[in-house]
Amino acid sequence: MGKIIILNGSPRAPKSNSRRYAEIFVQHCSCENEYFNILKTNHHELCSRLSGFTDLLFVFPLYADGIPVTLLNFLKTLEQNPPRNKPVVSILINCGFLEYRQNDTAVKMIELFCKQNGYRLGSVLKIGSGESILDTPFRLLAVRQIKKLSASITKAKYRVLQTTMPLTPNMFVKASTSYWINYGKKNGITKEQMESMEIES
Amino acid sequence: MAMKLILSDRPFHIPIKNVDSIKFIDLSSLEIANCVGCFGCWTKTPGKCVIRDDAVKIYPDIAKSDTLLYISRLKYGGYDTVMKTMLERAIPVQQAFLRILNGEIHHVQREVVPKKATIIAYGAMDREERDVFEHLVERNAYNMNFESYQVIFSEESQLEETVKNEVKKWEKS
Repeated sequence: MGKIIILNGSPRAPKSNSRRYAEIFVQHCSCENEYFNILKTNHHELCSRLSGFTDLLFVFPLYADGIPVTLLNFLKTLEQNPPRNKPVVSILINCGFLEYRQNDTAVKMIELFCKQNGYRLGSVLKIGSGESILDTPFRLLAVRQIKKLSASITKAKYRVLQTTMPLTPNMFVKASTSYWINYGKKNGITKEQMESMEIES
Repeated sequence: MAMKLILSDRPFHIPIKNVDSIKFIDLSSLEIANCVGCFGCWTKTPGKCVIRDDAVKIYPDIAKSDTLLYISRLKYGGYDTVMKTMLERAIPVQQAFLRILNGEIHHVQREVVPKKATIIAYGAMDREERDVFEHLVERNAYNMNFESYQVIFSEESQLEETVKNEVKKWEKS
């Protein structure tokens, strides 16, 4: 059986949704695994650990339509410091939009990294509505796909998976509006303040 | 008043005649930290980033410009670190709230002028990398309010000439 290293590439790794997704993955993973946040200070340490793993799972959010700088910078370090034995690279990506396909460009970027650097691409799980799905009754849809992701990596039967909330775009916009209003309320900010059209003024 | 903005990930010596309407910013000379994903610019201080470094001078210019030129090295089919760091820090120009645009979910923009964007990308390794980047810019167009855009791939050795040619076109228009 393989051994999986899970690397969280979210800029807010310790408090991120990516961490929550990784925790669900770990709960349902039957093989040995280790989890790390990617930090500015631990790139070399993480690179040196990779040889001991058969699989590498990157967990990260979509950022400005692509991979976050946190992950980009780690990939650049990894390119310069490749492990002796290269693990198979899998992806668990989430975006705040309803459409999981909005993650596709970021997935292609990792695919390109793999091609350019001699890694095999393994499984991919693309999650839409990823900012909030875990706090809704639709959580079970995300958990189900993460279980499948885990099984596919464990058995080396790699596959592409996806999920999102089963809502119409209009319903999703309405639900997300309530979500963000409540988010602002916790900071003492009203909907009207959040809707400000002003930028730095 | 709308402006023309050049954001570059490296310095250039470009003779710009219309300095009142064309602004050149070399991002590599500035202090710009990574976005930390705190959502402060959406839910605490709407429209303002809580990290008060040089990025807070740049994203208002991005929002105000009607003509944009981005100059960036490519890495894995995306913008390399210098440009991508700035673009991630530009999310205060959007609201947290979502809307439907061309049948897809996107963020509502604050006061962001629709743009004609040109992206000069250098350092592409092959056709596949250029394809991925073109996909990326197509996605950017929805989220960064590009009403039109063109991507120009340049050899690094030809970069300065490519940039000068684009700026000349602006000055003629």
